[in-house]
Amino acid sequence: MKVTPVNNTHPDILALITTLKMAGITTIILMLIGTPLAWFLAKMQSRAKVFIEALVALPLVLPPTVLGFYLLLLFSPQYLPGQIWQQATGQQLAFSFSAIVIGSVLYSLPFVVQPLQKAFEQLGDDLLEAAAMLGASAFDRFFTIVLPITKASFITAASLGFAHTVGEFGVVLMIGGNIPGETRVLSIALFDHVEAFDYAQAHIISISLVISSLVLLSLIYLLNRPTKNKRINQRGLIDG
Amino acid sequence: MSLLLTRALASFIFIVLLFLSSTDVRAKNTLGFDDKPLRIAVASNFAPTLTKLLARFNLNQENFPKPIIIAASSGTLFLQIQHGASFDVFLSADTKRPQLLTTADLAVKDSQQTYAYGALALWSAKKEITTDVLTALKNNQHRLAIANPKIAPYGKAAKQVLEHLQLWDSYKTRLIQGINIIQTFQQTRSQAVNLGIVSNSQLVLNHFKGVLIPSHFHQPIKQQLVILKRSKNIQQAQRFVSLLMSKQAQQFIAESGYAKLNGMKDEGNTRE
Repeated sequence: MKVTPVNNTHPDILALITTLKMAGITTIILMLIGTPLAWFLAKMQSRAKVFIEALVALPLVLPPTVLGFYLLLLFSPQYLPGQIWQQATGQQLAFSFSAIVIGSVLYSLPFVVQPLQKAFEQLGDDLLEAAAMLGASAFDRFFTIVLPITKASFITAASLGFAHTVGEFGVVLMIGGNIPGETRVLSIALFDHVEAFDYAQAHIISISLVISSLVLLSLIYLLNRPTKNKRINQRGLIDG
Repeated sequence: MSLLLTRALASFIFIVLLFLSSTDVRAKNTLGFDDKPLRIAVASNFAPTLTKLLARFNLNQENFPKPIIIAASSGTLFLQIQHGASFDVFLSADTKRPQLLTTADLAVKDSQQTYAYGALALWSAKKEITTDVLTALKNNQHRLAIANPKIAPYGKAAKQVLEHLQLWDSYKTRLIQGINIIQTFQQTRSQAVNLGIVSNSQLVLNHFKGVLIPSHFHQPIKQQLVILKRSKNIQQAQRFVSLLMSKQAQQFIAESGYAKLNGMKDEGNTRE
């Protein structure tokens, strides 16, 4: 998972590449972890549900630097997680690309889990039960029923997870260490430019971030709009 | 159920309001001490020293205004001042920002002066360094934490140290760069990085033992201040500055891990 620095690239382009890699890998991991977690939460009856939901939502309210500070401690060779990582990979976890990916996964988790959980909760049991009676495996049921119906929520979850990770600053600041080509992401590069009075370069990054985020978010809302009709159709189909 | 919810919400709002009003009263009490508090914007690295210094010397002064310390990075404070923040004095960690404020006519004329010289130390939170700086840096095969040379004065000096020792080329690809010297200290303290070039004052403050880096390895880290023109409290601000520049206060600052002023020529700040 190491990003090899390219010497000739402009530092800001390098930061952009690192950012996209970080956000891309984070989103993939988030979808893989977030989907079962959201399903589990949607179907959970126990009272512990509230607690787990609160735990997932925690990054929404905690200052990123708090999360980052604890992660810095945990990732250092002083503590068990950092030690285990170092023994398994031979590399130190703190100040590595892997570290900022793990940090981003935790930090963006609610943005992926919450839309998926909502979608799964709205999904009626009747369809799934019918499919199960007809002999469809759990695997089949997920890919032929759940996924097509909740497709829009999956797109929302993935895009929000991605966009939020791109915009992340505090966590990466704490556990990244500003290493070009590895942990220096756009938001950090932007901060450096502002602090160094390099406002022209800072403006370029800010404007591109604003525009690309706006485009991405608009796309999510665009994609989300027709789905409501689809769900009504689906219900109509069931009712009819 | 909804009644319960409304009640819960109402009591929550009540508690919040109660909290807000109580903090308001407290603020008034401390502010009512003198007619106007003195708002001192200070670079984070100097904030602990300033707090201690004020606690010690403030009491001797009659009618000294209640100081309010606003600590942040010099860059952040500079931006805030540029955009109208109402501070009375600005203690920066560098010379560039006070100079810019003077040029922009935001600072009181001739108020710009050096109040402290930063000192660097090589430090490991893992094990005590027993050799000299050069040997320790040469033997280290791992990463090194320094403040970002582009934005932090202490980082710039750390880079000069590495260049002076002809180690910059070997280190430049394995540097962990903190946004300021405080983050570098924190990163080294967490042991997430073995070795760091930190500010000596942080070690003194926290009773850690590092190796002092000789000051001729880098250009002096001048920390300068300005009194801000926008201040409605310029007279009191000037009193504060002369307190800060007094022999006893300067002695205290040196004891707090900053470099000594003597032997360095400065714009006639040191009396005697």
